[in-house]
Amino acid sequence: MKPAERSHIGDIDPRALLLVTVVYLVAMLSVPLQRTDMIIWFAAYPIISAPLAHIAYERLFRNSLFVLPLLVFIGIFNPIYDRTPAFALFGITINSGWISFISIIIRGLLATQALLLLIRVSGFNEMCEALHRLGCPGAIATQLLMVYRYLSVLLEEALTMQHARQARSYGKNSFKASLWGPFVGQLLLRTIERSRRINMAMKARGFNGTLSTSPNMHWTTADTVYCLVWIPVFFSLRFIDVSALLLTLFAYC
Amino acid sequence: MADALVSPAIAAGTGAIAATLIAVAASKVKQIRRDDIIPLMGVMGAFVFAAQMINFSIPGTGSSGHIIGGVLLSAVLGPWAAFITLCSVLIIQCLVFADGGLLALGCNILNMAATSCLIAYPLIYRPISGTSLKPWRITAASIAASIIALEIGAAGVTLETELSGITALPTSTFLAFMLPIHLAIGAIEGVATAAVLCFLAKYRPETLYSDYTADESSCTGRFASGSGRLRPVLIGFAIATLIFAGAFTWLASANPDGLEWSIEKVSGISDMPSATPATAFMPDYDSRFAGIVGAIIVMVMLWAITTIIFHRVRNAHQNSSTKGKE
Repeated sequence: MKPAERSHIGDIDPRALLLVTVVYLVAMLSVPLQRTDMIIWFAAYPIISAPLAHIAYERLFRNSLFVLPLLVFIGIFNPIYDRTPAFALFGITINSGWISFISIIIRGLLATQALLLLIRVSGFNEMCEALHRLGCPGAIATQLLMVYRYLSVLLEEALTMQHARQARSYGKNSFKASLWGPFVGQLLLRTIERSRRINMAMKARGFNGTLSTSPNMHWTTADTVYCLVWIPVFFSLRFIDVSALLLTLFAYC
Repeated sequence: MADALVSPAIAAGTGAIAATLIAVAASKVKQIRRDDIIPLMGVMGAFVFAAQMINFSIPGTGSSGHIIGGVLLSAVLGPWAAFITLCSVLIIQCLVFADGGLLALGCNILNMAATSCLIAYPLIYRPISGTSLKPWRITAASIAASIIALEIGAAGVTLETELSGITALPTSTFLAFMLPIHLAIGAIEGVATAAVLCFLAKYRPETLYSDYTADESSCTGRFASGSGRLRPVLIGFAIATLIFAGAFTWLASANPDGLEWSIEKVSGISDMPSATPATAFMPDYDSRFAGIVGAIIVMVMLWAITTIIFHRVRNAHQNSSTKGKE
């Protein structure tokens, strides 16, 4: 995945982005499910950060909707089992279960949006380097990059096999069930063979088992400022009841 | 597992265990004496990653699932290298497709990678298949190991969600939902794994993992040397676990005292809460509702403002680039 086009937060160190995202997730997910009002305030982060990364928030929101079925599957039982009355609205009693259900949906979408934002802004190679510099074992950092690169090799081989099969199948598009095992096994063997050749070529060019990604990664003042701006905001949203504060202010006015 | 389904405490706990296992696995992988282990891990990871993208429907349930691939990876790479590979697949799914969640990564690694590579493979697959390349042994081992891995993983998801306090669903009912679905997914994964492994065993048996390719001092080497006496016990354990899993699933499905009972209860008028007068408008909890409404209004305003600014900046950028071209 390509990093976001040059944007206001496009130059931020991926470690800073990762740190801010983790703190955001911890702060938001630690809010009790019954405090939907507190969870909603956390939407400020993706809403503000998305335009700064040159991404329309609507697009980010749409992209995050893929997680909705899982959230609904887990959360839908809460209104059934938790029937403690929370409040009445136009004469209809709203149960605590519905409140927690809505909370699960909102925090699930916000968590996905934060992750999508992180991926879009930092890019995969930079994120692997960030993970390595944050103490992730070299074996797994190299493995991440290897899987990512060999995916295209696998897809190429699959397409070649598919074309070859189409060329000799006289218009038949479907596979017999018994052919799937040999097809997939053959695909695996072909890809393994090709990966061995690639590995030998890499070794001949000095590959020693470690892939370098982005050696010019430096922590700058901008990264510190980025963390110092967002992290206190997340802590404030977690520990200060902003809704109650605003209601009190309105009452005074 | 998604981020929304775990509490920070559970995420931290499972994350710490997963990180420890990754550190151990990384040191074990260094001991493997196999020249082509790096490209093989890369290719197998890419293969499983692609396979996980394919969702198949489960007849009669209305749901779908995808394979995990841990048993297949372990049978080719060995348990520790397979664990690292599967972890990398899960991390890529998280960091490329935002699938799974960052905080839930520890849970996902334990539920999928640890159960299939470090539990099901050494305790179920190896004792059943042994060093034999007979198709029926590979098939039986693949199906048994895949089912056990999926069932333990499903139980893990249930436990983690319950401990996080996310769902109000009772544990037994939640298990009654999760186990039958994952039994079906496990059986399908087992058949798919067996098909690939039987092909490899027939045409390229040297591709399959052998304990002797690892360092003799590693735990896999010791496991192989002691497997003679241990094997009947482990086979017995595997069969007992399968029977238990099947029986538990059947019992869970046959006694729907959870959901159906609850739905019946929900539809009953007598059980409706009567604590709040029907005519009252937010008598005790109006401030909470007002807080929700207020937060939504502010967020909508924030979104509107940032969208307007975003479009203006983009238009200005486009205008300037057009002028530059002219």
